[in-house]
Amino acid sequence: MPVLTSDDMCPVCKMIRYLNKDMEFLINPECYHSMCSNCVNRLFNDGPNQCPYAGCHKTLRRKGFRSAFFGDLTVEREVDIRRRVAAVFNRVEDDFETLRDYNNYLQMVEDLTFDLVSGTDARRHDAEATLQQWEASHKAEIERNRKAGRDADEMTRRRVNAEREAARQRRVDALREAEDEKVERARSREAELDSLAQGAAPGGGDGQRVQLKRPGPAAGSSLASASFSSASGALADVGRLSIRGLKEKRKPAAAEGPYDPFGGMDFVPSRYRVREGLDHPWLNKYRLDRSYATGGYTFNEYTHRAMFEAFAGLGVFVDDEKEVGIGLSAREVATIGAGIAAVGDRMELD
Amino acid sequence: MATEDARYRLSSQYRLWSFSRAELASLREKSNSLARASISERLSRASSSSEKNNNDRSASTSNANTPDPDGASFRLPEFLTVADESLMTTFYTTQLLGAGSATGLSDEICATAAAFFRRFYITNSIMTYSPQDMMIVALFFACKAEGWFTRVTDFLKMGSFRSLKKQPEDILAGEFLFCQGIRFAFDVRHPFRPLIGAGMELRRLGDIKEERIRAAEERAKSILRFSSLVTDAYFHYTPSQIMLAALSLADRELAERLIHETFHHITPPANKGTPTNGGDGAPNDSHQPKGQNKEAIIGQQIRDKVLGTIEACREMMAHEMPERSKEHWQSKDMYQDLILPIKKKLKKCRDPDRSNLVALQRARREEALKKGDSDDGDPEDRGGTVDDDAAVFGEAARDAKRRKVAKGLDDPFGGPL
Repeated sequence: MPVLTSDDMCPVCKMIRYLNKDMEFLINPECYHSMCSNCVNRLFNDGPNQCPYAGCHKTLRRKGFRSAFFGDLTVEREVDIRRRVAAVFNRVEDDFETLRDYNNYLQMVEDLTFDLVSGTDARRHDAEATLQQWEASHKAEIERNRKAGRDADEMTRRRVNAEREAARQRRVDALREAEDEKVERARSREAELDSLAQGAAPGGGDGQRVQLKRPGPAAGSSLASASFSSASGALADVGRLSIRGLKEKRKPAAAEGPYDPFGGMDFVPSRYRVREGLDHPWLNKYRLDRSYATGGYTFNEYTHRAMFEAFAGLGVFVDDEKEVGIGLSAREVATIGAGIAAVGDRMELD
Repeated sequence: MATEDARYRLSSQYRLWSFSRAELASLREKSNSLARASISERLSRASSSSEKNNNDRSASTSNANTPDPDGASFRLPEFLTVADESLMTTFYTTQLLGAGSATGLSDEICATAAAFFRRFYITNSIMTYSPQDMMIVALFFACKAEGWFTRVTDFLKMGSFRSLKKQPEDILAGEFLFCQGIRFAFDVRHPFRPLIGAGMELRRLGDIKEERIRAAEERAKSILRFSSLVTDAYFHYTPSQIMLAALSLADRELAERLIHETFHHITPPANKGTPTNGGDGAPNDSHQPKGQNKEAIIGQQIRDKVLGTIEACREMMAHEMPERSKEHWQSKDMYQDLILPIKKKLKKCRDPDRSNLVALQRARREEALKKGDSDDGDPEDRGGTVDDDAAVFGEAARDAKRRKVAKGLDDPFGGPL
C-alpha cells in the first residue's frame, strides 16, 4: 500500500489522488490549511465559513483560496509575509545618509518580519499592530516609493533596451564600414594596377591617398552614457520617509549663491571713490604711449590700484593692533582692564 | 571696518612684518642674545681645539686673546650691543641704497632691497652674517622680487657692483638663507604708488596749484626713497601712513587737507554733485558706509587717531631726512667715530662658522649628500643645538619641507639663527 502523504490525500474529505487524478490542493493565507478544490467549492460556495480543520476557528472566504507555490506551506507563509512587509517598508539605500543608517533600518525590518513569521503569539500580535499602524500613517510615502521603484525599474528596462539597440547599431555600422573599406581597397588596388598598366611610376599617386580611419567604438557609447546618466538621475529622486538617518531634502543651489573665490571680501572702497579723470603727470608717458599697453591691463587698473594703496591701511594702527588686537586701542584695553579689576571680586563670586 | 584696511591686513607685510615698538625691541634683543650665546660657544670650542693642536706653540691667534692660555677660562670678546647692531644695520642700509641708485636700479627695487635687508637683521644678528655679503644678496633678490630678472653674472657687472669684486657664488650661497631670513615674504608694500594716488586725489580737488602739488610730490618722493627706508617706519606704519607722513614733511597743509577730505563724516567729501565714472570699482551710493558704520570708517574720532599716527611716523622719519644721506652717513668723521669702532669689535666677535658663506654652503651640501645615503632620522631631534641647526638649514628641499611640517605654521620665525 502506498504511503499516503498530504499531497495525495485531502485532509478534509479524505479523497485520494488515486481516485481523482486532477485533484488540486488550495490554501487560504488566513491559516494555510490545505484542502482539495472540491472541498473548497463544497464548503465555501455559500459564503464565508469556518475552517474545517479541528481547532482552527478562522473564517475563510472562497476568494482567498489559491494554490500554493511552495510545497512547504511554512515557506509559503513566510514568503507571503515578507512580500507584505516589503511592500510597506520600501525604502532604498539612496534614501539614507549613511550605510549604517540603512543597515539599522534593514535590521529593524528583519526583526519585525521575524516576529511575524515565527514569533510567539504576543510578539506576532505586536508586530502586526506595528505594521498596520505604519502602513496607515505613511500611506502616501509608501505609495510614492512604490511608484518610484516602478519608475526606476522602467528606466532600467529602457536603458538596457537602449544599450542593446546602440550595440546593434554599432555592429551594423562596423560591418558596413568593413564592407566599404574592402571595396575601397579593391578599388585602389585596381587603380594602382591601371596606372601600372599605363606605365606610370608605382606609388606616385597613392602616397597622397589617406586611408580613412575607422571611428572607434567611442561614437556609439555617448548615447548609452547619456541614457545611463538620466536613469541614475531618476534614481536619485526617490521619495523619502522619516526614518532615522534619512537624507535631508537637498537645499536649492540658489540659496548659496555663486562661488566667491575671495570668501566674501568686500572690494568696494569705503574711504575713496575712483572717479573719471583721475590723472597724474608722472603717468602721462604710460597713459599716452601705446607701446606700454599690455593685454588685459588698462590704465584704469593702475588708477584703481594707486587709489587703493593710497587709502589702504590708513586705519590700521600697527602699534595698537599688534599689542592688543584689532579694533582696540591700548588705552581702551587699559580702561577695560581697570573695569575688570574694579568688579573683580564680584566676578569671583560668580 | 573699512574694506581697504581689511584687505591690507591680509598682506604678509602686516601679518609677518609689522610689529609694535615693544615687540620689535624684544625681537632684536632676542636675536642679539641668541647670537651671543651661539658665538661664544663656538669661539670657546674653536679656541680649545686650537689650543690642543698648538700646545707647543706659544703665540697663536686665539691665545692672543686669552691672557691665561693654560686655564680653562677663555675670555670672550666684547659683543656688539643691540644699539651697535641697529646702527650698523642703518649704516649698511644707506650703503645699499647708495649702491642701488648709483647702479641705476629703480626706486622700487632699492626700496624692496632695503626693506628685505632690515627685515633680515631683525631675526639675525650682524655678528652672525656679514652685512656686506647680505647687502648684495638683498639687492639681487629684490630685483627678482620686483619682477626684474637678470643673470647673477650680469648683475655683478652692473655699475657700482663691479667694484665689490664679488663672485656669483657669493650671492647664491646667501640667497636661500636670506629668503629664510625674510620668511619668504617677498611682497613689500611701498608708499610710492600711494603717493601717486594721493597726487591724483589732490589734483581732483581742483583748488590747489599744480606747481605746489608737484613740488610737494617731488620732495615726498625723495623722502620716501630714504627716510622711510633707513628707519623702522615700515615695521610700525602702513604704506599709506608713511606716504602721508612724507607728504606732511614736504607740505604739511596738503597732507592734512587730504586727511580732512577723507575722514569727513559730517559733510562727506564731495560725494554729491560730482559725476561717478561708473567703472567696476567705483562705489555706488548704496555702497557707501551708513550711519554709525560711517562714523567708524570716516568719522572724526578715527581721523584724529590717524593724524596722531601720521604725526608719530613723521617724527620718526624727520630724524633721517634725505639730506642726512650725504651729510651724515657718507661723512668720513661719522665713519671714523661711529662705524670703525664697531667694525673693530665685530672683527673679534664674528661668528667663526658663518663668516664664509660659500664654504658654509659647500659644507652643508656635502653633508646633505652624505646624509642622503643613511636615513637622517627625525629632524626634531636635532633641531635643538646650533650645530644641527646649520645642518638642517642647507639640506635638500625635501628635508626643509619636512622641517616646516614638523614645526608647523604657528612659529613662522622658526630658528632665529
